Formats: sequence, C-alpha cells, structure tokens
Amino acid sequence: MSFRLSRALAVYRKDLLDLRKNRGLLWSMAALPLVIVVTPLGVVWAYVKNPNDQGLRAVALYYDLTVDLSNTARFLVDKVLADWFVIYLVMPVFVPILISSHAVAGEKERRTLEPLLASPVTPLELVVGKSLASLVPSVLVSTAAFALLCLGVDVVAWPLAKELVLPNQMWLFGVFVIAPLFAFFGNGVAVLISARVGDSRLAQQLAGLMVLPLVGLAAGQFGGWLRAGTGYYAVIGAVVLLLDLAIVVAARRLFDRERLMSRWG
Amino acid sequence: MQGIRVEGLVKRFGARTAVEGLSFEVRPGEVFGLLGPNGAGKTTTVRMLTGLLTPTAGSASVCGVSLPLRTDDDGVRLRRQVGLLTEQPGLYDRLTARENLEFFMRLNEVDGGSAWKLASALLERFELKGREDEPVGGFSKGMRQKLAIVRALVHSPEVVFLDEPTSGLDPQSGRVVRDAIAELAKEGRTMVLCSHNLPEVERLCTRVAVIKNTLRTVASLEELRREGLALDVQLEGDAAGYAGALATLPFTVGHLAEGSRLRVMLDREAQAPDVITCLVRAGARVHSAHRAARPLEEAYLELVREEVGS
Repeated sequence: MSFRLSRALAVYRKDLLDLRKNRGLLWSMAALPLVIVVTPLGVVWAYVKNPNDQGLRAVALYYDLTVDLSNTARFLVDKVLADWFVIYLVMPVFVPILISSHAVAGEKERRTLEPLLASPVTPLELVVGKSLASLVPSVLVSTAAFALLCLGVDVVAWPLAKELVLPNQMWLFGVFVIAPLFAFFGNGVAVLISARVGDSRLAQQLAGLMVLPLVGLAAGQFGGWLRAGTGYYAVIGAVVLLLDLAIVVAARRLFDRERLMSRWG
Repeated sequence: MQGIRVEGLVKRFGARTAVEGLSFEVRPGEVFGLLGPNGAGKTTTVRMLTGLLTPTAGSASVCGVSLPLRTDDDGVRLRRQVGLLTEQPGLYDRLTARENLEFFMRLNEVDGGSAWKLASALLERFELKGREDEPVGGFSKGMRQKLAIVRALVHSPEVVFLDEPTSGLDPQSGRVVRDAIAELAKEGRTMVLCSHNLPEVERLCTRVAVIKNTLRTVASLEELRREGLALDVQLEGDAAGYAGALATLPFTVGHLAEGSRLRVMLDREAQAPDVITCLVRAGARVHSAHRAARPLEEAYLELVREEVGS
C-alpha cells in the first residue's frame, strides 16, 4: 500500500486546524480532564483534613485487614490514587473518540469525503493523518491532566505525607505505557465505527460505550473485589494491546476507497 | 495531452446495475457532456473515471492511466491529473478559503508558491479575491461552488470532471458558476460536465453522451438535434385543441403545442402528409407546415423516454 508521510501530515494538520476552530469540541475535551483531576483532589483533601477519623479506619479495614491503623489516611490516599487510575484511563479513551468520530464521520456529514478521496491521498494516509490528529491532542491532554493531578495531590497531601505522593511508579507506567494503548484503542474504535455508521453523533455514542468496561473495573476496585496496582494495570494493558492489533487488522480491511465511497459517498 | 477512452464500462452494486456497456471517447481539450436523468449513472461513471469506484467490467483510460487501477501508485498518478468538482462543494466550513486550498495543494504535493499563484489568479477571476482569509462557512452557495472549482484546478489537472455543478443553486448563483465554467472551457481544458440541465450543456459542451444506465447515444449537439424530424404546423386557434387528434394516427408521434403552433416529432419524413391530413380531418385550419430543427430537449427526452414516460 502506497504511503507518503507528507500527505498523512497534511491531513493531520488540517484536522488539527479544524479542531482548534471547533470551540464546542474543545470545551467538551476540557471538561473531562477537569473532572478527572478535581475529583480525587477532593477525596484526598477529605482524608488529609481528618486523618484520625474513626470512619477512615473502618474504610481502611474494609479494604485491608492488615492495614497499619496508625496511618489509615495515608493508606487510603494511596488506595484512592491507585484505584483512580482506571477512571483516568477514561480520558485517553474518550478524548480520541470525541475527535475521531467528528473528524472521520464528519467528513461524510460535511460532504467533504468525495473531494478528499478524489485527491491523491491514500486510505492509509487518511487513517494515519486522522489518527494522529486525534492521538496527539489526547496524549497531550492526558499528560497535562496527569501533571496537574500530581501537582494538586502533592500540594493537598503534603501535610499528611511530607513527601511527594505522585508521580509514583504505577502512575508513570500507566500514563506513559498504558494510557497511549487505551488512546490508540479509543481512536481505532471510533474510526472503525465512524467508517460504518457515517454519523458523528451515533459514532460517538457507540464508541463511547467502550468506557463502560473501565467503569466496571472501577466499581470492582472501589467495591474491594479487585486490587489495583502495576501488575493489575499491566494485564489490562496487555489485553488492550491485543485489541489494538485487532483494530489495525480490521482498519486495513475496512479502509479502501471503494468501501468508503460505497458507504459514505 | 491525452483524453479519455471508455470501453464497455460496467458498474454493479450487488444485484443493481448502475451503468452497463458505456463506451465513448473524450478528446483532449474538449468539453464533453454526460447527460442523463437522475439515477442514470452519471455520478457513478465519474467516480469510476476518477478512480473512486472500481469498474465491475470494462476498461477505461484517463490521461494515459488505465482503469481498473492496478496499483495504489496508479491511483495517485490518476488523481494528480484529474480535478473533480462534486455536486456539493464539500468545503471545510471552519477553515478559510486559503486554508481549504492549501490543504488540497499539500495533498497534491504541488509547489506551494506556484500553486498559490495559480490559485490567486483563479480567485481573482472568480471574484473571490480579498475573501481568501474568511471562513468558508460564511460564503454564499455560488461562492462556495466557485471556490470548489478553484480547488479542483489548483493542481493544474489535465482533465476536470464537473458533476452537476449548478444543481441546487439559485438561478443567480447557477449563472455565476456557469460563467466560470465557460471561462475555463475557453482555455482548451479537457472537461467532462455531468448534467441534466440542457441549456447548460448547450452552452458549454461540444459533444455529449446520453446515458440512462446504458449508453443511449454519443453525438455532437448538432447531430443530436438532427436525429429524428420535427414538423412545425401553424394552425388557426389553439393548437393544443387539435393535439389530441394525433392519437388517432396509426403511428406514435410526440408533440408540443405552443399557442397556435404545433410541433410534431416524426420518425420518418413520409409521416408528414398523414399528420396534416389528420389535423385537417379534426377541423384544424392549417396555415403553414414546415420541417424544423428539433430542440435538444426533445431529442434528449426521446432518448431517455422510459424515464419521463412520454
């Protein structure tokens, strides 16, 4: 399959330019990181405010009967941050879904697909350019949110911890290894669904369902049935890596000009 | 410069045949019309000739590139040499005219400096100069279509396909776009114009192919007008009142009544006396009768007769 990086980059630059001018989409993209950063800060602040609260001991014992009862607040801070990473993963999945469903199915809605496919750009260049335009902002937003989370948590938790709580090994591994795999997954699913349904809102809704397993995992963790940690997230990451490979195979099959024109044209 | 050669082109979508057995040639520098009613397969034909759809059978050559395309590189080579104006302009509304054009320049990998020089000249010609840094979303329909024409030309293609360029435009915008196309036609660029707008085709094209899923004819406009005969009969009173009498003839004729003039389409010249006799028997007073050149519209309607049910 013919591939020219310059054409893929042209698609990437155009989509990024279009995204910059789409204020509604930018606000949607900003809202999610805000919630994901502010919520755990609130929880950590509550633990730090009353570290000797009897209720905290009960909660800590619910999660771990061997917990050091002299420092249950710190245990719970570490516990909530380890568990929160699965919620953080919603962001690298959902931001590419927001962008890709708009950028891919949006081409059909705006009737821009036919002139685009009539240009020398190949389907592979199109997919690579559009995926970059979705993955780069997603990784940037996720990394910026992580930096803010680290800063916020360390400021809020300092009176209790007297050391930097974040970044830790699990979060660093998660943010720089697992999160990009999830971003690739979210983008791939959105691109594939967009290619089939051709309606950006429907594509967004269907692709958005992909965050449900993460919510399920979060429920398991907060319920105490699943214990989050580096190994746990590494297993999830391996599963997502396999899904990513399946998406690449499916995308190669689905993205030919004839199929796109027949479905979208 | 090479034109277009189409031989027995067929496209099926599952059980549905969109076009079948299309064969025609477009000479270099010619403005060629692809005429047909809605759903006749004009857009499918253009999509095959621009490499967007793969023919089910048959072959074609566009600018020396053979279809069906054998490799991706052939596709890239073809698309570099053709420009396509789609029925909907398909512009990015949030981007400015300049950003829209620059995007397509990059996709075509043309030298930015010289391509923008060409784009500037085209923008000036189409009265869009000075608007290039405005978002396209604020443009009128006519302006958008003109910008889409500039986009189709910005990489200096050898062949330009114009698919229903004035469909859906108000008369004023339609005229602006037609004028723009007429300007380009004067340059000697090979163009294929898909339309069912006959005055547009008459104004712009030298030859046409009439299709309705299959090829009905390929002819120059003059040849098309000459196909078949028309008899202009000047009557006393309202011609429409006598048109019904034509149904009693032993052969079928088409007719068009305008005031006291009745135009009757014949298959053979020998039918003319029978038509006159029939009208006289019906009580018409015939002032004059003479052979007339058939309007393009009538020739076209006859060729796609099942479609209009006449």
